[in-house]
Amino acid sequence: MTRSVWKGPFFVNFPNLKQAIERGIPIKTKVRACTILPSHVGAKFLIHNGKNYLPLAVTAEMVGHKLGEFAPTRVRFSYRQTKNK
Amino acid sequence: MLHLLGVNLPDQKILSVALTYFYGIGPKTAEGICHRMSIHRQCKLQDLNETQLNELSGILSKMTLEADLRRQVRENITRLRTMGTYRGRRHFLGLPVHGQNTRNNAKTARKLNSKTFRRGYHVFPQRPLASLASWFGMAKEQ
Repeated sequence: MTRSVWKGPFFVNFPNLKQAIERGIPIKTKVRACTILPSHVGAKFLIHNGKNYLPLAVTAEMVGHKLGEFAPTRVRFSYRQTKNK
Repeated sequence: MLHLLGVNLPDQKILSVALTYFYGIGPKTAEGICHRMSIHRQCKLQDLNETQLNELSGILSKMTLEADLRRQVRENITRLRTMGTYRGRRHFLGLPVHGQNTRNNAKTARKLNSKTFRRGYHVFPQRPLASLASWFGMAKEQ
């Protein structure tokens, strides 16, 4: 179900966002549900996928998507003969 | 047979049914078009007169149909893929995009989703995750 329009997009305020964009420092975050706003363009993120922090450089066309969409959480199944490996 | 915008329409069929021969027009849209032109429900394609046909082709030419629509759909999917989103990935793998189960079946997705990227039409994320890691100057974070 889509989110009500009157609520506006869900986002989190990242402190030091401006500095991060200027200096190219990645923002480490666990907020996968945060919508990418126009102000985020050019920023680098490290998005938690449950295990690691995956890097993302935000471009203009990503605006409106969520951060979590760019950090896949699941590993593709591959068959192993033994468990202990 | 009537040739309209590159599609052969069957003469003897009811107009709203005949219109569904277009890619991009279903029963609902076809009915809407009939209403807009104030044509009665059982009217067949061969019963239309010249002006009505002109009006019909006028309406159809304003819509996004056939090749245009197919291209539009493909572009949308490709955009997801090049951005590197989860949805684009699922399309590429030929798996369901909207969180359906994949333990069994997932037949529709297997049939349709990977179709976009077949036949030498391979698209990859502009910045795959592996290369990005090195770009950030870090090996796999522990």
